[in-house]
Amino acid sequence: MNTLEEAARQIRKDVVTMIYESGDGHPSPALSIADILAVLYFHVMNIDPQNPKKPDRDRFILSKGHACTALYAALARRGFFPVSALSTFRSLHSILQGHPYQNKTPGLDSTTGSLGHGISIGLGMALACRIQRYQNYIYVIIGDGEQEEGLIWEAAMAAVKYRAGRLIVFADCNGLQSGGKISEVSGLEPLLPKWEAFGWHCQSINGHNIEQILSAIQNAQQVLDRPSMILARTIKGKGVPFMENNNDWHKKVPTKEELQQALKALGGDQ
Amino acid sequence: MIHLESTRIAAIEGIETLMNTDKRYVMVFADSVKVFRAVEFVKKYPDRCFDVGIAEQNAVAVASGLASSGLIPFVATYAGFLTLRACDQIRTFVAYPHLPVIFLGANGGIAGGEREGVTHQFIEDLGIARMMPGMTVVSPADAFETRQAVLQGAQQEGPVYIRIGSGRDPRFYEKPYPFQLNKVSVVEERGNDAVIFAAGGAILHRAREAVQRLKAEGVETALVNVHTLKPLDAETIVSYLKKTRGAVTIEDHTVIGGLGSAIAELATQQFPVPIVRLGLQDTFAESGEAEPLLDAYGMGVEDICKAVKQVLLLKKL
Repeated sequence: MNTLEEAARQIRKDVVTMIYESGDGHPSPALSIADILAVLYFHVMNIDPQNPKKPDRDRFILSKGHACTALYAALARRGFFPVSALSTFRSLHSILQGHPYQNKTPGLDSTTGSLGHGISIGLGMALACRIQRYQNYIYVIIGDGEQEEGLIWEAAMAAVKYRAGRLIVFADCNGLQSGGKISEVSGLEPLLPKWEAFGWHCQSINGHNIEQILSAIQNAQQVLDRPSMILARTIKGKGVPFMENNNDWHKKVPTKEELQQALKALGGDQ
Repeated sequence: MIHLESTRIAAIEGIETLMNTDKRYVMVFADSVKVFRAVEFVKKYPDRCFDVGIAEQNAVAVASGLASSGLIPFVATYAGFLTLRACDQIRTFVAYPHLPVIFLGANGGIAGGEREGVTHQFIEDLGIARMMPGMTVVSPADAFETRQAVLQGAQQEGPVYIRIGSGRDPRFYEKPYPFQLNKVSVVEERGNDAVIFAAGGAILHRAREAVQRLKAEGVETALVNVHTLKPLDAETIVSYLKKTRGAVTIEDHTVIGGLGSAIAELATQQFPVPIVRLGLQDTFAESGEAEPLLDAYGMGVEDICKAVKQVLLLKKL
């Protein structure tokens, strides 16, 4: 468990560092998913950095593509490409595009960035893998604000129709979206009864608690007759006190002093 | 006598041929199984056909996931609900990663939507599809060409858009011919006065009649079927521009962004000549039967003859 907490901390340190070094990016939405990514990439997923396109691998889709710094950090730390590439994020000819692009980044399973698409793409992958008789799982992280997109609910219906039991979706519920508090921008909540009513297997967890994340995944893996939704309550900016719940950090570059402050808070001396 | 043969059925026949030979082919519908007369087809391949309901965005995004995992999906529904409603999904999740997804867009053109009216007459589909980087765009003349476009389109490495009609589609080719995707098909090669570039069966019939009428008046006009709008068969098209030094384009589509634009863009770069573009002139149409609609919106035989004569005048300037 310590190892996964350390992996999450490393992802967070990489997120703030690469946004500082590249001079662009979305820090706080990336910090809220670091723990889930750590569990998936460093414990749960059947993947092979030496063979990133292994056909029967587990797959991951970051539907909230703007949080990609956290995903890039996880992929680099897991060995899909050198950690040194992280500082090229959003630069010309980088393998790390401003939002995820599957044709450029080793280990990245799907292009995202335009919100609302992860569950649909994951469903397509789940159906393709079923046809090919793979026993793998497809993991997706969507945002909470992202669920304002109608396509999410089109996918919610279709995934139940097709009994996509190997599709496991996390909703990173940090309560904030680009424009402000979700409770003020839209009528999204309550989410849990919505997903239950759509026929999904639902769980609610603390999205920063490694044990809860792990056990929710293990539960979801046992349910093979319908897709799984794990509503993960999170804190936007988690781990960096001055970014937590401060929506100015949705998209903002830290100064050198702020970077040092953030790394110190994260317990690093990088 | 013009025979009708459904391009929707022809498309499904082409796909069935592919599915019987290669397990990678799958199909996604958006409550469009009946639209494509595919009820029996779906029963034959229940594990490889997916109907996500009236949800075009989902249909295309699911296809992106299927294609990202090694399969080759067809997505079949109405042309406009695909290219307009699911435009972002086609662009970002299929065209951008250059995935092998073949789109079949029914009700192409005002003749394709006819009595349903503007909501179901899709006059922008080819223009939108053309704007997608790396997308092959096909507007087959009839059922025969549709079958061929499906078979050959499925061999392309990236995405393909194929325009499909109403199901009551005029047959243009009474016999099979060696159809080649990415090339034009010359219908009437003689004629040095002007060349007509056309696409779609109803339009090609009208253009051929115009060629005959003009011939009787001593005007010699070539006629070229441009079934593949992208990539454009630049070499052959430019050879006709050089030979005739004046062109008419005609398409059941808005003149902005479709065949007329494609020919004009090419001519401007390689061999500028006067070009008159027929089609919908920055307007919507209305309900009506297919043939009278085409007449009412500037795509009649007489309109084509007039356009050729206008080109002859422009050539003298």
